[in-house]
Amino acid sequence: MLTLFTLKQKGLIVKNILFINILSMVLFAQSAEDVAKKSYEVISNYKSSISTTTMVLRNAQGVENIRKLEIKKLENKSGDKSLLIFLYPTDIKDTKLLSYEVIGGDDKQWLYLPAIKRVKRISSRNKSGSFMASEFSYEDISSQNYKNYSYSGEAEEVVVDGIKYFKIIRVPKDKNSGYSKQIIFIDTKEYLARYGEYYDKQNRLLKKVEFLDYTKRDGVYRVYKMVMKNVQNKKMSILTWDEDKIGVKLSKKDFTKRALK
Amino acid sequence: MKTLAFLLIFTGSLFSYEHKTNLSLDYVNYDKFTNEVVSFGDLKLAFENDIFNTNITLEYLYSLEYKKRRYLLLNELYFTKEWDDYTLGVGKSIKFWGELEGFNIADIYNQNNYLKDPFDTDAKLGSIGADITGYFDEDYLAFGVKFYEEKVKYPATTDPYYPFPINYDKELKLSDEKYSPTFYLLYNFVSDDYFDTETKIILLHGYDNKRYFIPTNQATLVQFAYRVNKALLLSHLIYEDYIFKTELSYSDVISDDKMSDYIQCSFGVERNFYDIKSADLGMYVEYYRYIYMQDNKIKNVDISEIYNNDIFLALKLNLNDVKSTELKGGLLYDTQNSEQIYKVEFKSRVFDDFVLRAEYLQTIAKQNTLLANTGDTKRFVLGVTYSF
Repeated sequence: MLTLFTLKQKGLIVKNILFINILSMVLFAQSAEDVAKKSYEVISNYKSSISTTTMVLRNAQGVENIRKLEIKKLENKSGDKSLLIFLYPTDIKDTKLLSYEVIGGDDKQWLYLPAIKRVKRISSRNKSGSFMASEFSYEDISSQNYKNYSYSGEAEEVVVDGIKYFKIIRVPKDKNSGYSKQIIFIDTKEYLARYGEYYDKQNRLLKKVEFLDYTKRDGVYRVYKMVMKNVQNKKMSILTWDEDKIGVKLSKKDFTKRALK
Repeated sequence: MKTLAFLLIFTGSLFSYEHKTNLSLDYVNYDKFTNEVVSFGDLKLAFENDIFNTNITLEYLYSLEYKKRRYLLLNELYFTKEWDDYTLGVGKSIKFWGELEGFNIADIYNQNNYLKDPFDTDAKLGSIGADITGYFDEDYLAFGVKFYEEKVKYPATTDPYYPFPINYDKELKLSDEKYSPTFYLLYNFVSDDYFDTETKIILLHGYDNKRYFIPTNQATLVQFAYRVNKALLLSHLIYEDYIFKTELSYSDVISDDKMSDYIQCSFGVERNFYDIKSADLGMYVEYYRYIYMQDNKIKNVDISEIYNNDIFLALKLNLNDVKSTELKGGLLYDTQNSEQIYKVEFKSRVFDDFVLRAEYLQTIAKQNTLLANTGDTKRFVLGVTYSF
């Protein structure tokens, strides 16, 4: 009797544990979109920034080329604004690219060509094109707003090299994107995107990206190094931030075509 | 000397400046003229202090073979003062007004630098003036004045691309005083209500950028500048992957009995293809037309007339490689005379500071036309530019 009772009791306990586990999974599992939103929030609210960056382009043979640029950014509810000023090589020095992100639509872009003093509107469907001959495309260097992607299901918890990550799959909403999907690994503590895999339109792995050297400043995480490896052509580009100021005195006026001249 | 003294005094009071220098060396192979080695370049300086900014551009050109193809030019020296919503600019400067790629009928603020290259519409001479611009979100309104009309130099009679059948008197004849100013009012506005568009409307009163040439005697041509009331409209419209562009102008000649009023119009479409094996390809189709209003008056006399009634077709291939390799090819086809100009350009960076360039230009002209007068039909250029 005692044994039978004990077994019944044990069975009840197991059922209870299972129920609690399932309940906690239902209650605490997060959707991929929620994780993406939190991940975007921890790097947002810097208001504005001025950064100088160096980009190293490394080809399959290991030969390196250097690019330098200044990046000004302004957060905006309807889409961020950015101004890129090319600093090196010298023949393209002072060339400027002004971009207005339009969430759910085509971005707007203008290019300033200093040699002829021309502000030229450029087609903003250039998402997949190479940025400054690097493995970064225009969409890679633009705002990573979570609203620009669609998600499905829950964020999967995975352990890689002893570290827990949320694994989310996001699909670019823009049909001009060069990617069919992106798999992003987000750490479970700070919700920072640590690395990712980008797939081309034929659903083949195209690039692997790493987000490194995060630093928390004024409550906002800033990434200071990005490594983009193209697994198809074996080229690699490394973007590092040499200087970075956030919450600087920039306004919408600094992102009009006036700023290009 | 005065300019140099001014620059020395001025630069002493500055605390920040930037510079950029381009030095080029070209070998030019002509079809009918002696080949030449030509060096040209520019030095751009930008100064900044608490009160205003200063920009200076010095240009030089030195041909080993053609002594008249040599100059040292202070092409820009202008000061700007910026307030929150306004910018004031004074000095010698170059402006760009245009939408199309091959030729811009609306780009009338500066004269072309024909001495450098008659086939390069980007080669321009600085003009002395002042302007004030007010900014309202994405729109802006500018009022400007150009103080006087510059003389335009053309290649010497013995040099390649001298465009006239007889001698040319470089003294400029004006229908009014030399220092009669030219005024303009420019309004730039954007709209994305139905389509994403940007439009400029420019009203100009003063000297026209076009000049006409008439013989004063059997042996000499003289250049005349005349005054106009001119209205210009420049616009582009984005529709999916296409950019539609237009430049329109109407010129009412107000101070010259000989010159006809005229309309200029041009239309263009640009289509870009991205990420084709990592490369970008741009395609351009444009058309330019001049319409003269009075048959009994002077018309078809400016150098820019080579673009009249022309179709421009061009391709631009950007390889998106670390050398920023770019290949451009274009055809300008005159639908009236069946004249043709072909141009192919190539450039690629070698090391980080040198750009290697090559160009092939061929003209197919009819007899006794302006294009035929330039005297050469083919040229090949190989050059290198060092930037630092």
